[in-house]
Amino acid sequence: MSAVLFFIAAAGTLAGAIGVITLKDPFYAVLALVGHLASLAVLFLLLRAEFIAAAQVVVYAGAVMVLYVFVVSYIGGQNLASGQGPGRAGTFGAFACAGALVVELFIAVLGSGLRAIGTIGGHVAVGFGSPEAIGSLLLTKFLVPFEIASYLLLLAAVGAVTLARRRGGLDDQGDGTPTISVMDFMRPRPFGTGTMAEGFGHAEALSAAQSERRQERES
Amino acid sequence: MSLAIVDYSEYWWIQIIKAIVIFALGLQLVPLVLLFERKLLGRFQGRYGPNRVGLYGLIQPLADIVKLLGKEQSRPNTSVGALYILAPTISIVTAVATFAIIPFGDAPHIFGTRVGLYGVDLSIGPLYIFALSAIAFYGLMLGGWASGSKYSFLGAMRAAAQLISYEVSQGLALVGVLITAGTLSLTGIVEGQGSIWYIVPQFAGFLIFLVAAFAETNRAPFDLVEADAELVGGYNTEYGGGRFASYYFAEYLNVLVVSGVAVTIFLGGWLIPFWSHQPAWVDPFVVLAKMSIFVIFFVWIRATLPRLRYDQLMSFGWKVLLPLATLNTLVTAIIVVAVHK
Repeated sequence: MSAVLFFIAAAGTLAGAIGVITLKDPFYAVLALVGHLASLAVLFLLLRAEFIAAAQVVVYAGAVMVLYVFVVSYIGGQNLASGQGPGRAGTFGAFACAGALVVELFIAVLGSGLRAIGTIGGHVAVGFGSPEAIGSLLLTKFLVPFEIASYLLLLAAVGAVTLARRRGGLDDQGDGTPTISVMDFMRPRPFGTGTMAEGFGHAEALSAAQSERRQERES
Repeated sequence: MSLAIVDYSEYWWIQIIKAIVIFALGLQLVPLVLLFERKLLGRFQGRYGPNRVGLYGLIQPLADIVKLLGKEQSRPNTSVGALYILAPTISIVTAVATFAIIPFGDAPHIFGTRVGLYGVDLSIGPLYIFALSAIAFYGLMLGGWASGSKYSFLGAMRAAAQLISYEVSQGLALVGVLITAGTLSLTGIVEGQGSIWYIVPQFAGFLIFLVAAFAETNRAPFDLVEADAELVGGYNTEYGGGRFASYYFAEYLNVLVVSGVAVTIFLGGWLIPFWSHQPAWVDPFVVLAKMSIFVIFFVWIRATLPRLRYDQLMSFGWKVLLPLATLNTLVTAIIVVAVHK
């Protein structure tokens, strides 16, 4: 049973990876990557690493790839200009990097992995790879990398908020335009107001501010 | 997947029977919820609701399903065939798969062997739910994209943004309970509520979870995904017949799943207060009764609150709900550490 699952998942992983680099339409390439990541999660499950499998799906298939799908479907599929192509030096560099990676993988597999074939495999303690085991390792043995990674994430979040902060809309524009607070829709509205009135009020305030500015310029 | 608690094992045929029973149960509950919702909505709006088909309109859902399945399966010329057909399947598969881990009881002895009244008790419980809801996103997204219509596409985009925004708060709202319970297993969480249900110490987490659940299931007042006044019908605008029925089925099954998760995590699952030795056959009915409270609440909110505007939805999710959920997690962690010292 697990052998059948392994071969299905392995085929899915390879097909997904090949699809990412061969499919012309970026939307399908992104979907192939999703398929690849989901198949990888199945391989993790077969290794009894449920937590890693779930994290893989939640983080990669669920968060990272969602953004990819989002962006690719917004800016269009086939209409995307493919650019100039890598050029001769770029092609050579790509092949050199791929060759180096292949040699490295072969060294790793031939040098260590093949010895385990024919044995019963490594000793796995009960609870290995469970959330408890991973959690206690993260907070004892790997505390420093864990903390550094959390600072990195915090920096990324703060940076994203800083970059994405926009002027106007919900923020105070400083020209008397009524601003909308998050708490505004939590409290009851005064009589005679509503979404339409709010919209008109906004437009009126905006035109009033503009005419004020025009008068200042003229005088 | 391995089981969280390995003190008993089930035969393979028991697991197959359980899989069939769970799927059949889900399939039977959805039409009931549908009828329930239409009847209740009618009462909320001062009318009768469906009352023509069968006694008091009881077999109205059956008529609806027969009508939907009998319709012609058409699709727009601009649609992408394979993905258009695949998308509703993703939605329905993830909904049923999530339903499988909701525990309807402990593991009583049935025919001389222990049978857990749940599909599988995972060591990663809530993470499994979030992993599947991450995949469920592709059901909506691909459906909207593959329809080749701008209304569908806009609906799918809203669904994407909404799911991402509220999934974080929903996850963080559960972390408080997980810290208190000290386990990720759903049956373990239920057993941890023997003295007091987690809704009492984790009331803030419960409220955050509930609000995020409305957004995650695309229900009013967070149903911008299918805002019919502006989007015709959202991601499923171009769907009809059986495929539309699958989307509809998945949506209502998701409501049931979210109710089940809330019951398991906050309302003590199959536990009844002040009655610790109930017979095992009572357990599933207790869970179903508690779930129906949530379903009523879902309908009640739908009949009461108007739909939010898009910017309100986003700023509420990121500027109110997420900080609250983070604060709740932090405070819980500090209290748990202080008490355990």
